Amino acid sequence: MGHVEAHSAPGAHRATGDQASEPALIEAVHVTAGYENRRELTRLIALRDVSLHVRRGEFLAIVGPSGCGKTTFINLIAGFVKPIEGSVRVRGGEVTGPGADRAMVFQDYALLPWRTVERNIRFAMENRRGHVPKAEQAPRVARALELVGLTGFEKSYPHELSGGMRQRVGIARALVTEPEILLMDEPFGAVDAMTREAMQAELEKIIAETRQTVVFITHSIDEAILLADRIVVISRRPGTIREIIDVDLPRPRFDEQADVKQSPRFGEIRTHLWSLLADEALGAQQAGASR
Amino acid sequence: MTETINGTAPGAERTTRQIESIHVSRFARFKNVAITVVNLSIFFVIWELVARAEVINALFFPRATAMFSALFNGFADGTIWPELSHSLTNFLIGLAISAVIGIPVGLLMGASKVADLILSPYVWAMTSLPRVALIPLLILIMGFGNSMQLTIIILSAVFPIMVNCMAGVKTVEPSLVRAGEVFGASRPQIYLKVILPYTLPFVIAGVNQGIARGLVGMLIGELLGGGGNGLGFLLDKAGEQFDAPMLYATLILLAVMSVGLVQSMRWLEQRAAPWRDISRA
Repeated sequence: MGHVEAHSAPGAHRATGDQASEPALIEAVHVTAGYENRRELTRLIALRDVSLHVRRGEFLAIVGPSGCGKTTFINLIAGFVKPIEGSVRVRGGEVTGPGADRAMVFQDYALLPWRTVERNIRFAMENRRGHVPKAEQAPRVARALELVGLTGFEKSYPHELSGGMRQRVGIARALVTEPEILLMDEPFGAVDAMTREAMQAELEKIIAETRQTVVFITHSIDEAILLADRIVVISRRPGTIREIIDVDLPRPRFDEQADVKQSPRFGEIRTHLWSLLADEALGAQQAGASR
Repeated sequence: MTETINGTAPGAERTTRQIESIHVSRFARFKNVAITVVNLSIFFVIWELVARAEVINALFFPRATAMFSALFNGFADGTIWPELSHSLTNFLIGLAISAVIGIPVGLLMGASKVADLILSPYVWAMTSLPRVALIPLLILIMGFGNSMQLTIIILSAVFPIMVNCMAGVKTVEPSLVRAGEVFGASRPQIYLKVILPYTLPFVIAGVNQGIARGLVGMLIGELLGGGGNGLGFLLDKAGEQFDAPMLYATLILLAVMSVGLVQSMRWLEQRAAPWRDISRA
């Protein structure tokens, strides 16, 4: 948020396919990850041999059926989970745990219900000593709230807000420390369709301003196409990378004049993604319905 | 839909709270009090009438007025107050000690699998065991003194507190703990800022149960321990002397004491976690 260039075209700064020489910000190298079930002495392999580079400033969306290991992948980058094999690196350094360079937006918002909006956002700054100077915290909260359009709601409690507004608080909290990497785990999965679209448009605008590198998990193909520079399609469990698709649609994509959704290129990518996910999307729908 | 599509319309006209004031009668808030007063008055009048009709032997069922005069005289001649204050002091000290032991141990059990595994058998055994069963042993160890009475209160109250705190920690949303980790909270910070506030309603519910159990413990200690003081002793003495008014007066005192304690905890409960009630509704 500190380095805002208000009138620059965000698309121009975005990394595209021809910048392979630039060092990757996030690297996954032959990562296999899963969860142990000690009672049954088994190990559920969620991801198998995944190698992936995320460039600086890139918006990467990950799609795939439920339980394909999308969340595991984001948890690996966040540092919650350690890979069984392979390694996950950020700026060349092995990820050993959560760090100030990575912030996360949760599907269920994960706001502290006993704290006001303002104090929830402060939570991101108050734990690491000397991370953000005390005097700077209040203006930062104000800026973050302005960015997500929640100015005036400082003293509200999460339960007084709608789902969409709660997630804006979640986004403000993640952005307030200006982390290099923003991890979003189905952030709009729990909000209604109308709000969802509005939030997508806002997210594009916010990221155009703040220039975070984003790893974004979603169930929605349209959401992935509208937001991402690249889309990683992960197969059914054990998850492997099925394909990586470059989304070469111009930005901003949420423009009243040019409806990207009506453009032929959008349709092409959409059809292609659908064919990749055809059988898996069915499974995902069923899993989604049982949630 | 309370969202604005662009999300850029925050302003003075947009207020956070959707609460407006409404007008009600000035006496509305006294309605509940009035109902309670009338209700209790009717109760005591019926009591008085039934007793006067002498349908039931006056030896078991004194008049309400006789009960009130026994209560008044008991306070006036100093037979009730020392016993009441003895019981109340003992109880509050016992409860405080139970909370100081029970809350941290319960939190530890909720947070650490190893601690849970080690302590569980003892805690559950003590939670389920009827407290009366311990009286002979406690008398054997500590005699009839005050320490025995205090011990039984603590043994009654500490385990429900522990079990509730443990259960509370286990209900903490995993994503909140994750959020703590993401935003740089150390283990102690996560305990202090996430787990403890989340668990607070459970802690209070535990103390509530501790109060109920502790009162039972207090009475059995005083009734069976034969220490010669406390409300239990007053009950015992009144029973032996066929002093029905005093017996009823003591029971009323006990009822008032327990209701007072439980209600004050309920009040505290609402203050401690307003977000819980509202988010549930």
